[in-house]
Amino acid sequence: MSILANRDTRAVIIGGVAGVNAARRMAQFDFLINRPLTVEAFVYPPEEGQQKEIYRGGELNNVTVYASLQKALDENPLINTALIYIGASRAYQSAKEALDSKGIKLVTMITEGVPEKDAKRLRKYALEKGKIFNGPSSIGIMSAGECRLGVIGGEYKNLKLCNLYRPGSFGVITKSGGLSNEAMWLCAQNGNGITSAVAIGGDSYPGTDFVTYLQMFENDPETKAVVIVGEVGGTLEEEAAEWLGAEQRRIKVIAAIGGTCQDVLPQGMKFGHAGAKEGKKGLGSARSKINALREAGAYVPDTFGGLSKAIKQVYQELQATGVIKPEPEIDEKVLPELPPSVQEIMKQGEVIVEPLIRTTISDDRGEEPRYVGYAASELCEKGYGIEDVIALLWNKKLPSREESEIIKRIIMISADHGPAVSGAFGAIIAACAGIDLPQAVSAGMTMIGPRFGGAVTNAGKYFKYGVKEYPNDIPGFLSWMKQNHGPVPGIGHRVKSLKNPDKRVKYLVEYVKNQTTLHTPCLDYALEVEKITTSKKDNLILNVDGTIGCILVDLDFPEYSLNGFFVLARTIGMIGHWIDQNNQNARLIRLYDYLINYAVKEEREVPEKK
Amino acid sequence: MAKILEGPAMKLFNKWGMPVPNYVVVMDPNRLEQLGEANKWLRESKLVVKAHEAIGGRFKLGLVKLGLNLEQAVEAANAMIGREIGTAVVRQVIIAEMLDHDEEYYISIAGNRDGAELLLSTKGGVDIEDNWDTVKRLFIPLDETPSIERITEAALEAGFVGEIAERVAKIASRLILCFDNEDAQSIEINPLVIRKSDMRFAALDAVMNVDWDARFRHPDWDFKPVSEIGRPFTEAEQQIMEIDARIKGSVKLVEVPGGNIALLTAGGGASVFYSDAVVARGGSIANYAEYSGDPPDWAVEALTETICRLPDIKHIIVGGAIANFTDVKATFNGIINGFRESKSKGFLENVKIWVRRGGPNENQGLASMKKLQEEGFDIHVYDRSMPMTDIVDLAMNS
Repeated sequence: MSILANRDTRAVIIGGVAGVNAARRMAQFDFLINRPLTVEAFVYPPEEGQQKEIYRGGELNNVTVYASLQKALDENPLINTALIYIGASRAYQSAKEALDSKGIKLVTMITEGVPEKDAKRLRKYALEKGKIFNGPSSIGIMSAGECRLGVIGGEYKNLKLCNLYRPGSFGVITKSGGLSNEAMWLCAQNGNGITSAVAIGGDSYPGTDFVTYLQMFENDPETKAVVIVGEVGGTLEEEAAEWLGAEQRRIKVIAAIGGTCQDVLPQGMKFGHAGAKEGKKGLGSARSKINALREAGAYVPDTFGGLSKAIKQVYQELQATGVIKPEPEIDEKVLPELPPSVQEIMKQGEVIVEPLIRTTISDDRGEEPRYVGYAASELCEKGYGIEDVIALLWNKKLPSREESEIIKRIIMISADHGPAVSGAFGAIIAACAGIDLPQAVSAGMTMIGPRFGGAVTNAGKYFKYGVKEYPNDIPGFLSWMKQNHGPVPGIGHRVKSLKNPDKRVKYLVEYVKNQTTLHTPCLDYALEVEKITTSKKDNLILNVDGTIGCILVDLDFPEYSLNGFFVLARTIGMIGHWIDQNNQNARLIRLYDYLINYAVKEEREVPEKK
Repeated sequence: MAKILEGPAMKLFNKWGMPVPNYVVVMDPNRLEQLGEANKWLRESKLVVKAHEAIGGRFKLGLVKLGLNLEQAVEAANAMIGREIGTAVVRQVIIAEMLDHDEEYYISIAGNRDGAELLLSTKGGVDIEDNWDTVKRLFIPLDETPSIERITEAALEAGFVGEIAERVAKIASRLILCFDNEDAQSIEINPLVIRKSDMRFAALDAVMNVDWDARFRHPDWDFKPVSEIGRPFTEAEQQIMEIDARIKGSVKLVEVPGGNIALLTAGGGASVFYSDAVVARGGSIANYAEYSGDPPDWAVEALTETICRLPDIKHIIVGGAIANFTDVKATFNGIINGFRESKSKGFLENVKIWVRRGGPNENQGLASMKKLQEEGFDIHVYDRSMPMTDIVDLAMNS
């Protein structure tokens, strides 16, 4: 048996992320004792309509977030309990609404820092309605083997250690949340565990009191003794003593009261919970509470550490008198283990998971990213540059100094080509339309294709093919190209020609051939091809795409990576254009009518729709 | 509980129509001379000058001066401002009109679980404690406002007569309004004085506590509560409070000079039981400390370092119950780092450390704490099977 919460308890949690975390903990308990999910709904208007994932063991449940309590109750009519996790400024309203709801009998408030007046009003309101308002600042309520409300009881392992999977004979009432867990442990360690444990909260005016719960425990035949943990301040412990002494009680009471140290502390110095404040003339002092409880017949040890012994003594007495009958212990081994997450099992090497993707270039699981095994910071320290990182990530090897100098020059030469080309123009139009950087640059990027900048890969690919298949037969290569592909990519320019050569090409070719020792079969082949094509037509020169493509092939970059150099280089230019337009606060572009040839139909009437 | 200074209390009294003497709060005594030119009462009344700080026993410390004229008041203010009392510095003084009066009354209101209680006595002033049996009590149920007739009746029963009873009742009804609307926990006016020649009343001295948790609904509260520990906060305490205000969960510290057992304990309930255990065994605590609500490790580390610096400590009690959701491993990492840092700075020499804790990831947390032994710490680590406060016994018997 139990008090306050049992197997029929169904809860709504009012509040945000803390409430969801609590629901997950509660579901662990539901799993341990194999009961249906306790939490059936959340109420939190900012997240209306969302589903929260709650695991009961391995079973995934989706619990709905409602905007209003009424809606939650309409759709989940079994709910009889509300847990308040919402912030202090809204806690009063939420709790009042819950107390107003017909089906809800118990409202327990976890929220801390609730104004005293609000707590006092809620207590009064609950009393008038014949309901229980527990808290504020309560860690929750636990009924062993029945129900867990809140995170009381801590982690899964502790639920087992404290025998919370089956009822014992001790009730627990504490102000402190941490000590409720401690007290449950003491009852398991020195006795047979608990029936129910309630944390009433350490505020000045909690919604309930020791007496209310002592009476409930007195009426619960399974509870044979109750451990209460109180503290200096207020008179709830004195009232408990009065209740205990008023008549013969069935239950035994064991108590620990905190705050005796205040007798010797410098005057006025107080600490602990908000409610732990001694009144005028020693009223509510720990000492007066201890004395009152002892006089009423409670077991009150000198220190908290003495509780262990006291509980053990009471337990043995109750066994000796036959009040507590021996029961076979449940073998803990039959209790379910919380299903581990995939990560946990993998750590133990007990499961094989087929990976979804594979990477061979980069890993950031350590302290810093590693590129093909090399730590980024170490590359910096040892004087490597961005060109080396490009070679590492695109081709998985560190280039020689000569090679990286070539890569650097290719990027520099291709970084921009003025605002008129389609890529830059696209980025500029987007910038003028007020589009943000990444999208504007992507707009320019979408222009890269067969007519703009996209020829590097194909140039490299086909010249490489020529080197391999037609090494000494350029006319053969050209006729193969004509038959199978069309014009040779990388050959030809709209404005440049033999007489008006492309300076970039000239520079690159001279640099690679004269200033480096790079072996350049592909570039050489392309230059031979150029000799033939320019003899046919002046502007069929090896253009910059072709040059770069060949050099990159000679640098041993994979064919399909070659366009990347143009994309990367031109990104620098496009970002520049975007920044430039923004700096100038450029206005939206609209084409003038005279720039458009409106080759359209005459104005005419729309026919009737058939 | 948040005690507020007289200045803000007077302002709230004024707001709710309770009679207060004329007063000003100044930081610069020269400003007082200029204020004198603008305010007749400063020139013509007898004045009282008080240090406007949370310092107990101000009268004995010479921080209250009575019966002064403006010139003397400026002088007194000059003498007070800048004075250092322990760790506190007087920065402000309050100068109020010393009303010549015929009688001193007592009126107060304090909240209780079911509402509040109004206390009235005709025998106010310094002797109120001796005249406690003259106090008439009127219970005011929560959210109810007693009629003026009911209060007048109580005033009459308290021994007030005729028009005075009516006026006192009126002041009391406004006190109730102020109490209710300002989320006060208690207001004590002692004395409430009367000058019968013109029937003028004034609250000459008052202590007011407001519910600091209710500040979200009082945007006009432009004051801060004063220290709740009977003295101004020390620098270390203030640093921990600043951290506390910034984090999820909490860290708290109160220094207790003269003690030699330091507490580094978890949880608002358990931490008090640890100090109790020290006291019960005849020891003396060097501090009170508490961390709870799964605070970040760096906050616990800062608290640890502060505690390691406490003078003359022999033991540190790293105690706590079995946590519900505070991660033992993570918070212990903060403590371990704090210990290491302190040791490297030369603290913790001849200090014994005693650990008892349970909760999420307790095994890992306790194991790494135990490893400190290998680094030369005199540390003794116990798990949940050790009764919570028994490490205090072990420390004191060692």
